[in-house]
Amino acid sequence: MKKVLILLICLLSLSGIVFANGSAESGEKTVAICTPYMSSVTTKQDVDILSAEFEAAGINVSVFDSANDLSRLASDIETATISAVDAIVIVSVDPNLVATQIQEAADAGIPIFGVDAGYMDCMQMNATSDNYQMGVQMCEYLFGLMGNEGKFFHITHRPQPSVVQRTLAMVDELPKYPDVEMIAEYHCDVPNQINNAKDIVENILTAYPEKGSFDAIFCAWDEPAIGATQALMEAGRDEVIVVGVDGNEQAVQLINQGTNFKATLAQDFDGMSRLCAQEVIKLLNGEEALSGNQYVPALLITAEA
Amino acid sequence: MEKKKTDMKAIVRAYGMIFALILIIVIFGALNPRAFLSSTNFWNITRQMAILCIISLGATLIMSVEEFDLSVGNIASFSGVLSALLAISGVPFFFALVISIILSAVVGFVNGFIVTRFRVMSFIVTLAMGQVIYGITYWLSDGAIVFNGIPESFKVLGTGKFGPVPYLTVLMVVAIIVFQYLMTRTAMGRKLYAIGGNEMASKVAGIKVKTYKTIAFTISGAMAGFAGVLLASRIGSASPTGGDAYMLNSYATIFIGKTLFREGIPNVLGTVVGVALFTILANGLTIMQVPTFVQNIVTGIIIVFAVVFQKMGSGKNE
Repeated sequence: MKKVLILLICLLSLSGIVFANGSAESGEKTVAICTPYMSSVTTKQDVDILSAEFEAAGINVSVFDSANDLSRLASDIETATISAVDAIVIVSVDPNLVATQIQEAADAGIPIFGVDAGYMDCMQMNATSDNYQMGVQMCEYLFGLMGNEGKFFHITHRPQPSVVQRTLAMVDELPKYPDVEMIAEYHCDVPNQINNAKDIVENILTAYPEKGSFDAIFCAWDEPAIGATQALMEAGRDEVIVVGVDGNEQAVQLINQGTNFKATLAQDFDGMSRLCAQEVIKLLNGEEALSGNQYVPALLITAEA
Repeated sequence: MEKKKTDMKAIVRAYGMIFALILIIVIFGALNPRAFLSSTNFWNITRQMAILCIISLGATLIMSVEEFDLSVGNIASFSGVLSALLAISGVPFFFALVISIILSAVVGFVNGFIVTRFRVMSFIVTLAMGQVIYGITYWLSDGAIVFNGIPESFKVLGTGKFGPVPYLTVLMVVAIIVFQYLMTRTAMGRKLYAIGGNEMASKVAGIKVKTYKTIAFTISGAMAGFAGVLLASRIGSASPTGGDAYMLNSYATIFIGKTLFREGIPNVLGTVVGVALFTILANGLTIMQVPTFVQNIVTGIIIVFAVVFQKMGSGKNE
């Protein structure tokens, strides 16, 4: 009986593989979208746009959300490779963190695209903002708002490829402003990044209880900036400036309400996702697609603009 | 002389982690007394302890019957998202809170029912249930953070204060008192410990093991649900993964707590000390501007030491 069951399972598994290959042979195209950060508002936005664009072009979409788990992301990419999908799109994740799986997929002849991800030579293209330039742009805005002098804290998450570029830009820009001092850099864990940032800033405020003891908090993306703003508002520290990057909806609301949150840089996620989808579709239709990093410009959002 | 030595050893074994906590407070206090030893920071620390403490108290019950509930983090995320969505749809906060806690308790009950009736490992059942809950939370939230349209009344419990005392602190203290009473002064608490000590003997003694274990799972689910709502209320938004990280931290605090008071046995006050240790370390190291990775290293080392210390002290390493 056991043997019959095992045989049945094997047959069912084989039929699955044949079915998967059969759909590829039947001319239907399938794209796998893989990300570990689906809980992030912007990543979700990217995936939704990509899915809509592919479906509109008659392409099947499989979304793999590895829920902040990089080892599961690696497995997802392996699964997509074994399933012989026609393209893989990775969203908001550094491909170097799953370099082996990305290389295996490329070796299997599957083109790999990125949205707001990093870039590896074996990939076709990555649509992203110039995160380094965004870091520079936000430094110029923030330090200008501080009158080119004062002290600030930095909250970041270096393992995220886009975020770390902004941090590196800030570190490079800082020497150009001799009267601006970074007191400390803190790593904000994800998920639960809003609460984690709020805890960090509450602790900072304990160490710096006097008004004017520091001037700003530069957050490398919007969610910790939201947590920082909440902590500052609850403590009545309206003099501290908070800036973020991403332009997410909750951040824009806080900026428009005149809170400590003064500015964010809106990455054009729609533009990135559409550019990526357009190039995937081109390639699947046998046309030539763009390659390398493709930058989509960012927009400064303040209460005035 | 020999007796004195033995007494000293027993004291160090039973209260070693409290000495460690006091030592940490003394070090932080000496390095930055103005910031660390201020009353503002005291209330700040208690507020930051509250959510982890509430989840951990529920999980302490589960551990006391020698079971695990690995779905507590997912339940907290689920409850936060559910309560936020209910509040957005116009349900008053109180009812959103109650509904979320009840549904979380139902999840806990289902965990307990499956574990006890089908005699399967709680480790596996709750891990699987966590996945189910994650899927439901993801479906409810569409995978995104829920924030648009959350009324201000939703944020009161997580951010409000009685004078300098945060509501979160008050809720935590009430929960600690209730759980301490439950575990030390009631027949139920004694039966839970009896089950954890020797399940077979408890059965023979007429204790309804299945019922009490199911109750423990149900209460744990409810507490995780309560913590999830508090988290969403504190930050004014609910993430489908917001509570997940609390699962590991809650068990770490219980393991630290097991080294205290009732050696090798999960206990409420020990768990509270574990939570305090976690939170004070994060608070103090942030105030000292120590990089976050060092915080992780220090916290991890302390947990390892606590467990090894307890094992050595109990003589079970032989």
